[in-house]
Amino acid sequence: MKNGEESGFMSRRQLLRMVGATAGGAAMYQAMSSLGFAAESPYKGPIDLQGAPRGASVLILGAGMAGMTAAYELRNAGYQVTVLQYNARAGGRNWTLRGGDRYTELGGQTQQCEFDKDLYINPGPWRIPYHHRGMMHYIKLLGVPLEPFFQVNYNAYLHSSQAFGGKPQRYREVKADYQGHVAELLAKATRQSALDASVTKEDREMLLESLRGWGALDKDYSYTVGEASSDRRGYEKEPGGGLSGRPIASKPVALHDLLDAGMWAGIAAGDTFDMQTSLFQPAGGMGRIGEAFGRELGSLIRYNAKVTDIHQDDHGVTVTFTDSSQAGAQQSARADWCLCTIPLPILSQIPMNVSQALASAISSVPSAAAIKSGLQFKRRFWEEDENIFGGITYTDLPIMNIGYPNTGFQSRGKGVLLGAYIWGMRAMEFTAMSPQERVQRIVDYGSQIHPQYHKEFENGVAVAWHRVPFAMGCFGMWTEETRAKHYDDLCKINGRIALAGEHASFIGGWQEGAVTSALDAIGRLHQRAVAAGDKT
Amino acid sequence: MRKLVILLLAAIAATAYADSPLYTSRATLNSLSGQQIYEHICQGCHMPAAQGATGAGFYPKLASDKNFVSWQFVALTVLNGRNGMPPFGYPAGQAASGAPHLSDAQIADVVNYVRGHFGNAYKADVTAKQIALLPHPAAELIGPQ
Repeated sequence: MKNGEESGFMSRRQLLRMVGATAGGAAMYQAMSSLGFAAESPYKGPIDLQGAPRGASVLILGAGMAGMTAAYELRNAGYQVTVLQYNARAGGRNWTLRGGDRYTELGGQTQQCEFDKDLYINPGPWRIPYHHRGMMHYIKLLGVPLEPFFQVNYNAYLHSSQAFGGKPQRYREVKADYQGHVAELLAKATRQSALDASVTKEDREMLLESLRGWGALDKDYSYTVGEASSDRRGYEKEPGGGLSGRPIASKPVALHDLLDAGMWAGIAAGDTFDMQTSLFQPAGGMGRIGEAFGRELGSLIRYNAKVTDIHQDDHGVTVTFTDSSQAGAQQSARADWCLCTIPLPILSQIPMNVSQALASAISSVPSAAAIKSGLQFKRRFWEEDENIFGGITYTDLPIMNIGYPNTGFQSRGKGVLLGAYIWGMRAMEFTAMSPQERVQRIVDYGSQIHPQYHKEFENGVAVAWHRVPFAMGCFGMWTEETRAKHYDDLCKINGRIALAGEHASFIGGWQEGAVTSALDAIGRLHQRAVAAGDKT
Repeated sequence: MRKLVILLLAAIAATAYADSPLYTSRATLNSLSGQQIYEHICQGCHMPAAQGATGAGFYPKLASDKNFVSWQFVALTVLNGRNGMPPFGYPAGQAASGAPHLSDAQIADVVNYVRGHFGNAYKADVTAKQIALLPHPAAELIGPQ
């Protein structure tokens, strides 16, 4: 972009700088919005940070997805960037545990991950919806290969310990039967003219026809044993070739039994916006993204740095930290601006001179409990014995989810599955156990769904997010009340400090929340920096 | 009838794990004492001897805590949370969203327990009635992802 000085006209940048200097940041932002300049989320494409003032610097706290997105863009825009990171690795909650890794949780208990080569578990995020375009952009940019993530597997289970004698039911059967029975009821009501007040005569025939197709009803609009229903729910004996290939239809479960089991609650798991096909996972583990980002940023990231104080003045921000690799010696870093992505439970304990409104926002977002566990088994029995290839089983047992690996199908040898993904009170109770007891109980519960567990189990890890030293929780929990009261204060720039992270987003608990909040925050920081002009 | 079945099953499961410090289920959680609530939930962060823990941040120790002279301080913290600590006073019946819930009586029990243990020696005289008079978080939690 040519500078206005050269062309003789006031450039857009000069105009904005003038507005910014005279009327403050809010007016500046207003002006930029009306000029079609300010990038609002959701993610619309690569961020444009042209015209960074010469010599301007930004200190970024945290090398998770938010911090590294910001560091990458600000560095490319010409800012001097330093990232302070508590861990000895990049990624934050973007993290994979592999064989040979050691993990020590708060309280001092260490787990040694004993998985075989190439087997892993993602203790944090494990799936990426296709419409998380910010994540998809950086994954492509970093060259991290993706694999499909199966959110819905029709042959995985819905399981209720209170129904069907505790026997897990195939998702395919529950969905087909629920849909079939509902379609049959609606067809009956339509034909008995019970819906005439809501359905016109012209629509009636179309509705009936659509119900037959949607619910797999027979010619009499009944959901019964037969070709139509078996084509959805599966067969008693599947069709094959030759003389032995004649199929036998299966028998649907009665509506009452389905309703009583409460399993319909699991049918829509793949229907929500975040869970709709396609979803992805990085090959080799979610942590591949953080690792690639860390390599890209190289020496900009300072590892083993524990932030102990954040202080801003009229000219910049000074951050004090201790370096755990140098016997805790106290050091400090200073920059013109600070982007802070430290999770709120930790940030709420760090002295920082910001407005009362921001301080109370920081201390008003409690941190969610969650457990994820990886279990290694001697063989992939879920594939070999049960024909489950990837996807998720949902259960009312305390383990809540079993996630099957979406990669390495039919490989011989060992396999690792997600033995539990637990949240809420149950996660708190598992957090209160020793890691060994967590794993033992997860194996015990899981054996109610897969009886092979006890015979095939080898080793496992269980990460309790409230005990994760660098996060102290899984994600920030908002209510409508706290959103209304604190969200804007949390996101607004306060002097020279801005916050970012999944907690500063409407996509809480997702990496996309971290990425889009970082881009939103640095867009606004950049405007302030441009308004402040070159450093002299 | 269904409720009875659930309770029975929960009771069977609780028996099976009677030798370990806890069993997880909403049904059994409702009959826990103050000490059991501490061991099932609080020690996840504050640790078994209430010694707390330190990483990038810290969980405060509850052992010999001077703030504990005020039972209201302890009760309000359990009810409404503090910093990253989740509130436990959300309305009942929100378990699906992950909202923690303890009854007023349970909160009184656990307040009495922590104020009378770990080097704290205050009287165990807080009642559910007193807890009920304190502000509770009312809002619905936005569910997990």
